[in-house]
Amino acid sequence: MRLRLPFMRSIPTAWLQPLTIVGLTLAGVWLVLAVLAPWVAPYDPLAQDAPLYLPPSAAHPFGTDDIGRDVLSRVIWGARVSIPLAFLLVSLAFLIGGTLGALAAYLGGWVDELVMRAADLVFAIPTILLAMAVVAALGPGLVHAVMAVIVVSWPGHARVVRSLVRTTMQSDYVAVARLLGASAVRALIVDVLPNVAGPVIVLAALDLGTAILLLSGLSFLGLGAKPPAAEWGSMVSTGAQHFESWWIGVFPGLAIVSVVLAFNFLGDSLRDIFDPQSVTERARGA
Amino acid sequence: MLRTAPSGISISQPSARTNRLIRAIVRARTRHPLLFFIGRRLVALVLLGVGVTAIAFVLTHLVPGDPAEANLGQRAGSDPVAVQIFRERYGLDKPLPQQYVIYLGKLVQGDMGESEQSRRPVRADLAEYIPATAELALTSIVLSGVLGVGLGVLAALQQNKLTDQVLRVVSLGGMSMPSFWLALVSLYVFFYQLSWVPGSGRLDPVVSRPPAVTGMFTIDALLSGRIDTLANALQHLILPACVLAAFNMGLFTRFTRSAVLEVLGNDYVRTARAKGLPEHAVILGHVLRAASPPVVTVIGLAFGNVMTGTVLVENIFSWPGIGQYSFRSATTLDLPAIVGVMLFVALVYILANMVVDVLYGVIDPRVRLT
Repeated sequence: MRLRLPFMRSIPTAWLQPLTIVGLTLAGVWLVLAVLAPWVAPYDPLAQDAPLYLPPSAAHPFGTDDIGRDVLSRVIWGARVSIPLAFLLVSLAFLIGGTLGALAAYLGGWVDELVMRAADLVFAIPTILLAMAVVAALGPGLVHAVMAVIVVSWPGHARVVRSLVRTTMQSDYVAVARLLGASAVRALIVDVLPNVAGPVIVLAALDLGTAILLLSGLSFLGLGAKPPAAEWGSMVSTGAQHFESWWIGVFPGLAIVSVVLAFNFLGDSLRDIFDPQSVTERARGA
Repeated sequence: MLRTAPSGISISQPSARTNRLIRAIVRARTRHPLLFFIGRRLVALVLLGVGVTAIAFVLTHLVPGDPAEANLGQRAGSDPVAVQIFRERYGLDKPLPQQYVIYLGKLVQGDMGESEQSRRPVRADLAEYIPATAELALTSIVLSGVLGVGLGVLAALQQNKLTDQVLRVVSLGGMSMPSFWLALVSLYVFFYQLSWVPGSGRLDPVVSRPPAVTGMFTIDALLSGRIDTLANALQHLILPACVLAAFNMGLFTRFTRSAVLEVLGNDYVRTARAKGLPEHAVILGHVLRAASPPVVTVIGLAFGNVMTGTVLVENIFSWPGIGQYSFRSATTLDLPAIVGVMLFVALVYILANMVVDVLYGVIDPRVRLT
């Protein structure tokens, strides 16, 4: 199933898979909505001037919530919370995990042992339990929730980068670079890093989805975003308390599904492009 | 079994002793690979336990929150005498390293301390809540395992055809749905609108618990022959189990698909087909067996990860399990309870890994346990 139009001839076929296109479009729409929220959203996300519990109608396509706020506007503004935070979180997790993983692979010995055992330890503790404990310890709040998710998600990146760097360092072209006089740091940056970028990007895309799920889950439990903020997880939680008004919780949830789906579609297609099989297995240490 | 040292080498010499030890280990390893393997894993479990408890200790103590205040409430929390008594009772007045050592000492004797929140031994709490979660988690993993592997094989056999694309959307969709939202939507549809299932809990309030054997109501009801109780327990179980299964089903489908695809191209599959074996025999006998190691790994890992789903799902379905318990403990900084849950899950994680490794050997006799 491939779309092939004349002007697309220069684009590699893997990018033209229907799912890749759907993923790119969805992600693009959400990015645009996040940037343009103040101009696109029909109402103020915090204004409580509409009637309460209004079912979806022309004036309020997603209805209004328990204190008279427009659900559609809050869903659109919610993109400004979850999406940038997810990007920030995955970048930080990659920076921390990737650095530790590269160091472990490069230095070997006890550094390697220490980093990998620490990663094992985090793997053995259920994500949400550790995250809950971190948030409970630091107090609820989005920043703390983000920190908690970083604490639980760096090991995946560390494992992938370590295994990739190890394999690449043994390759002939790195040996040649070193023989030609490149320093270890230069070899690592110029020769090794570009060759491990593909799988790392795949993992990052898949991680974006996981990060949004976990972050909104923490908010749903009341450990992330605080009440007035338009955050999808806490909006679903409000919906849970007002069961008969299904629209309060259903639409923010659909927003989460569509964003995560977009990142998963992208990650899945990117995996086909960069690296047919091994990213997820490496992350799991198989 | 140690052989006596060869003559000429003094036994008191340290190097000889070390030598003997190494040789004994090597011998134990070759003669009893399974015992050696289990021993290694037990050592890993102990180390992991030390790590987990240390993390929980540091987390719950480097914090602005004060467990005394969190548990006593405002009035009693502002009374210095009450706080002092509380601290002494739970050993909170001692320095942290000493608290840690005391805890480890008790843990070795099987005493996990007393929950600050339920005022009961953590062991009793765990014994009450674990069966409920086990019932839910096992059902969901079996459900997602059967569906995921089946759909994964189907997708691989239909590679790049419409079925494959549809299954790709379905499986990625399952992995993209927040379990808490799926739980709410399914409750709204199947309970609130259609009334097909009872709302929450493990049994209707009017139904009495079956006599406790395993603590899992479906099995206990079956054992005591109470069919109507079994039916009621199943009605309560089915919806949360399905919600919990959605993510894993997607994951298993993706993994099975790629594992099967890798095997399908092999010569022995072509040979099996060429010699006229029926397709189902080729798939079941040759392809599935060769494709199973990565699938078994992911399913094993699901046991460790299923907690994340259960915390959210149990909260919504008022399922009185370990997920709700850990949520309550985490939010009240109930250290003994948090550590207890973490230790239990780490144990499950290690055991699941062990079972996976043993299964590897069963699937592929070339694999040696190390």
